[in-house]
Amino acid sequence: MRPLPRYRTQSEIDEQTALGGAYVRSLMRSQLRAGLTAFTVLAVVAGTLPLVFAALHSAAVVWAVLGFAAYPPLTLIAWWYVRRAERNERDFARLVEGRPAQ
Amino acid sequence: MSRTYAVVAVAAVVLATVLVGGFGLRISRTTSDFYVASRTVRPRLNAAAISGEYLSAASFLGIAGLVLVHGPDMLWYPVGYTAGYLVLLVFVAAPLRRSGAYTLPDFAEGRLESRQVRRLVSVLVVGAGWLYLVPQLQGAGLTLKILTGAPGWLGDVLVASVVVVAVAAGGMRSITFVQVFQYWLKLTALLVPAIFLVLAWQGDGRPRVTFDEQLSVFRADHPLYATYGLIIATFLGTMGLPHVVVRFYTSPNGRDARRTTVAVLALIGVFYLLPPVYGALGRLYAPELIHGGDADAAVLLLPARVVGGLGGDLLGALIAGGAFAAFLSTASGLTMAVAGVITQDVLPSRGVRHFRLATVLAMCVPLAGSLMVSRVPVADSVGMAFAVSASSFCPLLVLGIWWRRLTPQGAIAGLVLGGGSAFLSVAITVSGAVRPPGWPHTLLAWPAVWSVPVGFLAMVLVSLATPGRIPVGTNAAMTRFHLPEALIPGRHR
Amino acid sequence: MTGPTYAVLVLFVLLLLGAGFLLGRRTARTVRPSDVGTPVEHATFETLHTASLAAPPLRAGLTEESARRSARRLRSLLGTDALCLTDRDRVLVWDGEGDHHGRHVMDQVQGLLASGRDTAFHSDCDDLDCPLRWAVAVPLTVDHRVLGTLIAYAPRESAVLARAAGEVARWVCVQLELAELDRSRTQLIEAEIRALRAQISPHFIFNSLAAIASFVRTDPEQARELLLEFADFTRYSFRSHGDFTTLADELHSIDQYLALVRARFGERLAVTLQVAPEVLPVALPFLCLQPLVENAVKHGLEGAVTRSRITISALDAGSEAEVVIEDDGTGMDPERLRHILRGEGGHSTGIGLLNVDERLRQVYGDDYGLVIETGIGAGMKITVRLPKYRAGVHGS
Repeated sequence: MRPLPRYRTQSEIDEQTALGGAYVRSLMRSQLRAGLTAFTVLAVVAGTLPLVFAALHSAAVVWAVLGFAAYPPLTLIAWWYVRRAERNERDFARLVEGRPAQ
Repeated sequence: MSRTYAVVAVAAVVLATVLVGGFGLRISRTTSDFYVASRTVRPRLNAAAISGEYLSAASFLGIAGLVLVHGPDMLWYPVGYTAGYLVLLVFVAAPLRRSGAYTLPDFAEGRLESRQVRRLVSVLVVGAGWLYLVPQLQGAGLTLKILTGAPGWLGDVLVASVVVVAVAAGGMRSITFVQVFQYWLKLTALLVPAIFLVLAWQGDGRPRVTFDEQLSVFRADHPLYATYGLIIATFLGTMGLPHVVVRFYTSPNGRDARRTTVAVLALIGVFYLLPPVYGALGRLYAPELIHGGDADAAVLLLPARVVGGLGGDLLGALIAGGAFAAFLSTASGLTMAVAGVITQDVLPSRGVRHFRLATVLAMCVPLAGSLMVSRVPVADSVGMAFAVSASSFCPLLVLGIWWRRLTPQGAIAGLVLGGGSAFLSVAITVSGAVRPPGWPHTLLAWPAVWSVPVGFLAMVLVSLATPGRIPVGTNAAMTRFHLPEALIPGRHR
Repeated sequence: MTGPTYAVLVLFVLLLLGAGFLLGRRTARTVRPSDVGTPVEHATFETLHTASLAAPPLRAGLTEESARRSARRLRSLLGTDALCLTDRDRVLVWDGEGDHHGRHVMDQVQGLLASGRDTAFHSDCDDLDCPLRWAVAVPLTVDHRVLGTLIAYAPRESAVLARAAGEVARWVCVQLELAELDRSRTQLIEAEIRALRAQISPHFIFNSLAAIASFVRTDPEQARELLLEFADFTRYSFRSHGDFTTLADELHSIDQYLALVRARFGERLAVTLQVAPEVLPVALPFLCLQPLVENAVKHGLEGAVTRSRITISALDAGSEAEVVIEDDGTGMDPERLRHILRGEGGHSTGIGLLNVDERLRQVYGDDYGLVIETGIGAGMKITVRLPKYRAGVHGS
């Protein structure tokens, strides 16, 4: 019944010791970084587009960009983020469980 | 337009909704099939359900109407409705699911350990839900008026009653399958007629659609500011909508919640390719709607105008059915969510009877609102609900999930100052007390640009000023929000 | 479109491409500082992991067996020619060359065992070819008690070895302390399991095993399946962490329970399940539905009834889930039931119901007790309402 030593970090996290807190914070940082990267791309594009449109004065461009072209990139960013977030979680699980890299 | 076909289509949608909802999961299963029954809702199925509930009257009728009147700048609406899910995905989806919260008040209480914050969030959720319900009812009234010539108020009352009866009687119990059905219905109802419309347009020798500045009606005297207001409200507001939050509970875990959100993005993205087509063709074939008249009706009128004959009637009936599906699904989802909050946090005692009472309450106020308030374009009034959500729930969720120093006092300050001011602006705008043109009206009609920063700032500053009030369980909550499922004991099975 | 229009458009497209390129590079780049570890860091962990292989044996305490299994790894950590571990009375293990020194070791460390201070000594070996001329001895202490010693031998005096031996000994001490801790924790877990085990009736275990045994000859495949179900079911029931579970897990366990029961009663028991997938993630107190199903099975098959039907449904009711367990068995006198739920029954059937009712009220408040509809010969219908969220209730 003796817990295996490789679960020790796990119990640090479960028992919310200072060390466990550090582990969770580092996971949060890596996830927040992934989220902020995706959000920044979105914000920069969405922030500049209205100015671009105002400069262009072309209904056709607005039409093409907002009506059709906007959706695939949105989905792609989302897909990238999910891949990234899941990879972070896998790496974190490996770190905690002490499994060596594959 | 032939009324008979349309009425039959609407009746069929209502009937199908009730049938799928009532009997979808009543089919008995024996133990050997248990594994099928106990399958948790897969991300794709859940995504279709979320999309089905999310694509409201504003999406189905409103966008085409706005594009028709104001030109392609209005396409920021569907882009914002979609991008809102991206923001929800990257900051909220997985942690919200892992928090175990069913509603936003649940989240607030679980994270901040304060009944006071919970009550305040409940009030805001009910308020935002009502704001969102009003245009749904008005859209339904408009649809019925166009289809049958009945007076406007009748449609509002009719949809309100159908939803109340369906929700209160428990007819919407297995709601996932109903919403999945509604998504595909809505997509078909816009896609098939759109194909015929485009073919007819090509048959006409492809007349050019023009969006000359002279023809477009200016919506705002400061269009750039209005656009940014719209972008901020829709991008940040989606995560706080009560019926959206509730659906994430159905995901079995945080990882699936994330995958679900990506699928939602793809599904609603596909849907939003269609309304602009109607808006553009409306410019050509229903130009009288540009000045005066209900532009929201464009989608409904086009098949008869462009295709005509029996085909036009049938396509019109299909669209009418889809529009009704849009009102029913969004309105019932919202009513369920609002009624749930009312039962839990407003009524003194709980139970099935109280849930029914709460359902009636949840619908009465927006119905009164929809009858009394002058008609604002559907998409615009939905935009206002987004602005309230973006200035109150977005700071609460984002800071609650990522910032350890948030205190109940900070949350209250942010909710009151951000959400409250947005709410007030919307109320003033709708009441017509401040009229365009001029900055006062612009600032009040698109409050998100200033109210979202106010909400965030108030939350951060007051939290920093009350460092002693950080909830005891903050670290535990953070761990629960962010720890991957693979590391949770007992989940290895 | 005009010239400037094209220019702005091209500029914008370039901007988009640039953003996409950066995003792609971020994804593709594997070597960069990361909060969850780069491959290089992971390689370091791997090395540390290998080094820590000496730890597990020591977690059993300081015995001949554990000393034997960890000595070589400790010696390779120190990089020395010979290493000796002793307890207070004798040499536990000698690893490396020159084990003829073992005879004198206990005499040489007597002072250390008394004082608890590191010592070094010359081995004074008569064999001139023996490379072991010098040794450092360090005490192994837990709670200020000296349990034994670690002695490292070298050809000549070495401060580095003295320091390293001290560090390794301190690390061994930590492992031994953890061993003590493990021992008390194991006792705690065992007590907890004993308490939980009391919730599964011994009759059920006996009957299940008897039913499985009856299949061993006639249908070995079926017997194997049932045995797996039984193992799974008991594992869930005996699990030692958390007060709460999810409806999905609880229903899964009920499914296994019913499979075992049906193995025994076969056609006599028909079970219908209706589960709305929306409520599967709901958190609820651990093992609070299973006793109700057990109760329904017992009632359904009691007396003269030849065939019995049990219906279990879990439906979505807004902010709550509603679980209904119904049987068409003998039912119960409502007055007697009221008695049982007041805790005055003392009847064995009632214990499960009373226990579940109490736990539900304790967790969710008095509004959420069991609702039981029954009458003599009228079957029994038990309704449980579970809020989808309650602060502090998290299924795991």
